[in-house]
Amino acid sequence: MTPVISAAHVSKWYGQVIGLNDVSVTVQPGITGLLGPNGAGKSTFMKLVTGQLQPDKGSLRIFGEPVWRNPGIYHRIGFCPEQDAFYERMTGREWVTALARLGGMDERRARDAAAEAIARVDLEEVADRRIGGYSKGMRQRIKLAQAIVHDPELLILDEPLSGMDPLGRRRAIRMIREWGRQGRSILVSSHILHEIESMTANVLLISSGRILAEGDVHRIRDLIDEHPHTVYIRAADPRGLGREFLAHPGVISLRFEPNALVVETAAPDAFYERLTELAASGACGPIEELTSPDDNLQAVFKYLVRS
Amino acid sequence: MEQATPRPGAGPAGTGVLAASMRVFDLSLGRMLWSRRTIFTALVAGLPVVVALVLRTLLAFEVPVMQGGVTGPVVFGLMFWGFVVRFAIPVLAVFYGTALIADEVEDRTITYLFTRPIPRASVVLGKYLAYLVCATSVLLPAVVLTWLLLAPIDGALAASFPDLVVDLVIVVVGFVAYGALFAAVGTIFDRPLLFGLLFVFGWENLALALPGQLRRASVAHYLQGLVPHAMPADTPLDVLQRAMTGAPGVLECALGLGLVTVAGLLIAARVVSNREYVLEH
Repeated sequence: MTPVISAAHVSKWYGQVIGLNDVSVTVQPGITGLLGPNGAGKSTFMKLVTGQLQPDKGSLRIFGEPVWRNPGIYHRIGFCPEQDAFYERMTGREWVTALARLGGMDERRARDAAAEAIARVDLEEVADRRIGGYSKGMRQRIKLAQAIVHDPELLILDEPLSGMDPLGRRRAIRMIREWGRQGRSILVSSHILHEIESMTANVLLISSGRILAEGDVHRIRDLIDEHPHTVYIRAADPRGLGREFLAHPGVISLRFEPNALVVETAAPDAFYERLTELAASGACGPIEELTSPDDNLQAVFKYLVRS
Repeated sequence: MEQATPRPGAGPAGTGVLAASMRVFDLSLGRMLWSRRTIFTALVAGLPVVVALVLRTLLAFEVPVMQGGVTGPVVFGLMFWGFVVRFAIPVLAVFYGTALIADEVEDRTITYLFTRPIPRASVVLGKYLAYLVCATSVLLPAVVLTWLLLAPIDGALAASFPDLVVDLVIVVVGFVAYGALFAAVGTIFDRPLLFGLLFVFGWENLALALPGQLRRASVAHYLQGLVPHAMPADTPLDVLQRAMTGAPGVLECALGLGLVTVAGLLIAARVVSNREYVLEH
């Protein structure tokens, strides 16, 4: 079987700075997580895989074909970039339809495909509103919609859950797993193990531009659990949330920032589960944004690099 | 080796440049029309209309502002050459042309265009076509309005109408040539706006003022050859007329402007096709 992605000795430099260093890796069909701290080379790898950058050394192929300067390959690839960038004045429906048309669909087919993609990311209700008025979670989901609108075989998702609220996060994870079950291959990047783990057990570990390890996530999981996990929650009632988590097992520390709560926990699974329950019940008001600095992952990677 | 094949309902792999360009055009036109740049264009295009209105108002109050055989068509001709051709067209082309790709890069939306099954050249061409529609749809009505206000002053609309048609063609041709040139500039240079303005206000003025063949390296030289307006003799306008005596013939103008356009678009398409765009976060 032709691998979905095959990279052979790929290196990429940004002037004097190395982005990716002699990476050789093969990605097979299914969901694969690309896990690494910020600045590890995840986005560089994603940009090489999507043909936005050209390798300085080595070769990179998607479905056996080179991707740089090969626009035909994009019929088979859907890409959800990390950056929060849109045509803000367009509605979600107009934007996804226009991008579908760039994929070669006629107007009617593009409209139908856009409607279908928007429905799959649960954005029908706001599809005719301008993207500029979308919440962070909606913006992430409309980005996912444009990535799947042409029904690609390979989805490349760069930090797709970044900044989503807990409910949006749960919904997005469910969607990604569903797409995987439908036979799409998915490469999804994150600097949060918990996110990757909720989608797949198959990971590529990347740090300092190198793939450190590939395979099952559980060994990494054990290492991660030895390091506290920090979560930043922007919410309407951070003090109410703080009260909820004060007695929560595994919570090591709580810190308040303007309109936000920063939690350090040794039990991220239980923490996220409780947070999602709170978001669903609305007991502590709306939770607007959830981010996780990668301090704990950095520590694990330092350990891995040393060993 | 497996080949990239379209999904059901999608177009053929490797959609042609022209078809893809029209889709980029569709996507870009609305965005371009409702941008701050269009407001700037409208302000620039509105200036000659305002001047013409002031002139008509002064004449209505019998203020002697038109003396020495200067007629409405002559004033219109001067405004067309001095303002529209030498200022409005190149300046608007600089602002639009240099931003065709730069805007998408700055807004970090270029990723969505470059990860679609279309040649990158079609992104340049589609956005260039959108610029042409945007710029001409604002400036052409302003030129017509200015003509309607000025031409009847000691003149006749019917008599100067053929010249107006040529003027309108010059506006379109000017946008075509300058736009292609600055599209190339926008893809090559890191500070294309500065380079473009230096070209328009520095190089073009210098090249036209100096004797010899240097003027052939300016776009204004070829546009100048197309301007149809006659100037009255034995007036200060003679100076301008003499400056125009070295104007090239229509064929040379067409060749020169065509070359600038084709070369500009080819260079822009080639640079964009081969360049890696690293977006800042």
